[in-house]
Amino acid sequence: MTIRIDRRHFLMGSTALLAAGAAGAMPAWAQDTRMRLFFWGGQDRADRTYGVSDLYAAGNPGVAIDGEVLPWGDYWPKLATQTAGGNAPDIIQMDYRFIVEYAKRNAIAPLDDFVGGTLTLDDFDADQLEGGKVDGKLYGISLGANSVAMMVNTAAFEEAGVEPPNRDTTYDDLRAMGEAFKSANIRGGMKVIADGSGTEPMLDNWIRQRGKSLYTPEGKLGLDADDMTEWFQLWAGMRADGICVDAETQALDTNGPLENTMIALGKAAMIPSNSNQLVAHQAINKDPLTVSSYPRIAAGVGGGHYRKPSMFFSIGGSGANKEAAASFISFFVNNPDAGKILGVERGIPCSAAVREAIAPTLDDKSQVALDFVANLGDLLGPLPASPPAAAGEIDVSLLRTMSQEVAFGARTPEDAGPAFVQGATEILERAS
Amino acid sequence: MTARSLATGASSGERAASPSVWSRIWQNDAPGYLFLLPWFIGFLGLTIGPILTSLYLSFTHFDLLTAPRWAGADNYVRMFTNDAKFFASMRVTVFFVIFSVPLKLAFALAVALLLNRGMRGLPLYRALFYLPSLLGASVAIAILWRQIFAGDGLVNQVLALFGIQGPSWISNPNTSLWTLIFLSIWQFGSPMIIFLAGLRQIPQDMYEAASLDGAGRWRQFWKITLPLLTPVVFFNAIIQTIEAFKSFTPAFIISGGTGNPINSTLFYTLYLYQEAFGYFRMGYASALAWVLLAIVGLFTAFSFLTSKYWVHYDD
Repeated sequence: MTIRIDRRHFLMGSTALLAAGAAGAMPAWAQDTRMRLFFWGGQDRADRTYGVSDLYAAGNPGVAIDGEVLPWGDYWPKLATQTAGGNAPDIIQMDYRFIVEYAKRNAIAPLDDFVGGTLTLDDFDADQLEGGKVDGKLYGISLGANSVAMMVNTAAFEEAGVEPPNRDTTYDDLRAMGEAFKSANIRGGMKVIADGSGTEPMLDNWIRQRGKSLYTPEGKLGLDADDMTEWFQLWAGMRADGICVDAETQALDTNGPLENTMIALGKAAMIPSNSNQLVAHQAINKDPLTVSSYPRIAAGVGGGHYRKPSMFFSIGGSGANKEAAASFISFFVNNPDAGKILGVERGIPCSAAVREAIAPTLDDKSQVALDFVANLGDLLGPLPASPPAAAGEIDVSLLRTMSQEVAFGARTPEDAGPAFVQGATEILERAS
Repeated sequence: MTARSLATGASSGERAASPSVWSRIWQNDAPGYLFLLPWFIGFLGLTIGPILTSLYLSFTHFDLLTAPRWAGADNYVRMFTNDAKFFASMRVTVFFVIFSVPLKLAFALAVALLLNRGMRGLPLYRALFYLPSLLGASVAIAILWRQIFAGDGLVNQVLALFGIQGPSWISNPNTSLWTLIFLSIWQFGSPMIIFLAGLRQIPQDMYEAASLDGAGRWRQFWKITLPLLTPVVFFNAIIQTIEAFKSFTPAFIISGGTGNPINSTLFYTLYLYQEAFGYFRMGYASALAWVLLAIVGLFTAFSFLTSKYWVHYDD
């Protein structure tokens, strides 16, 4: 039996419980093992996840899984609070950004002892397995491979009479497309692209193509002030020439719900995003969408992309049901029927057998996302080291704010470059 | 009720014989304390505990996952010597308080004066004007505000009728804070109700006397209404100022929790929230909370001290 909680159902559920209690008919919880499953995401992901937990519970009598889903922003405070209170969930959806922090504090458990036993990883992608390791120990099982991708409104490109971007598109090509969009002037002056100067993955992709990285394996800043100045200049130029959207428009996107993105608001024909989000973006957009790679810095230069574990399942460090939790995770990533329910919503499945099993059942958009990740070719570079704990703060409180300062003219790119490096260094030092 | 009157009845005979202070206190005040007890238990158990804990945490580094580490005054020192965002958020908050509170009170008073002229259907208008106060702090209104003040929102559509091309109010750093001030003014309902009650207290004969002496409406307002209303103004000002310092939800929703564009809506409470739940620096966030408490306390004390120069109590 599966219990799930989200905000909408919580009220209904508690009312029903009260009613049941009043009638003297409280259900008897005669389960052997109860596990809590905690994840972030939207309704679609929740439905798929609960589908799998129902399937698992049906095959494993005596096991009950209580699911709880929250939006990304609310998820981390709640997980941290529960962990601090010694009440961590058994199965925790974990992100690449936080896995080191949680592992180093023993808030999640190492899984090596279960591998080969309850946890089967025989045909699991090696790079995805590697991504879940911290200091050589396995702490997270990747739930899908993913890559950054431009979300592209193909209808808008058609209207503007511009060939949509492809895997060879460069930043210079982007300018040419932007000029064509300007002269076509469709949908009240739609721009070709959103302002990506404050988008961390886009900066990451750009700097990787220059042979550097955002962060070094030691957790230091991997780029210098000149890089950052050039980055801000690149976008300042596109902003001034009307290639990307203006400062005021871009500021409407608070990096919250997808509904506030430039592509959903109809302000830009493409935005930086992730391959697995094609499904979610298409659900709220009337125009047909597709994904394409991030632009190259020059023709023939690749290596900016990487196959990132979109998210992991980890096991709470203090839970009593680690073995049962490992068994559930194994089912989640290996069972073909579970794979069919999950689709590619969390990225491309990491088990070869699951990929094969679900291929015939995928819809068009899921197929596009799968093909995109499978055919990155020379765009693909190595998986970077997991980012330092302060990376999130640098992204939210520094990069995004500073990109706005440049966009609104409060700083010049020449001033913002060194200021960014200084600010990021301070944040990294404070966190260590 | 019965038990109490019986007890007092019985004791009134004894009181003459042995006037013990303690038994009198017990008999007079015990029922009051008894009624207070549920709140008192809650206060001791649920409020005082966390308050003292947060005071302790403000002297530590605490990330929720590992035990707090004693840090002495580090957090407070950093705040005042090495934290530009602290001052930025303080500036935003003080700006918000300075403009939103007087404007809101003035607007509330104006509407209360209007409603006090004995118009028909007063209860209806009173309820309607109070409505925004009930809704104002809600998430739904904050989202609505985003729509109204966006680049192609309602405000700019109206302005366009007059040939004015307005900015995207909500996402422009020069105007974003004003949309929040405007939202706060719009929630003028509760001070208005209190003003209205205060206006009813002013004796009518004063106005009659003033009219006979030839004072016009304007003069009557400045010489009679306002001075006699100062206790109510004082009360409203204190309450609204504290509310304004604590304001959180609208900025959180409208800026998506970021305080952007360019930290122009980074309220102090929003910064505190970011530090606590965004970056898990509970110790620093606790220190921020105590500084806010001190500031609000100082402000309130200052208001009370100056009140004797401008608040006229009718006694």
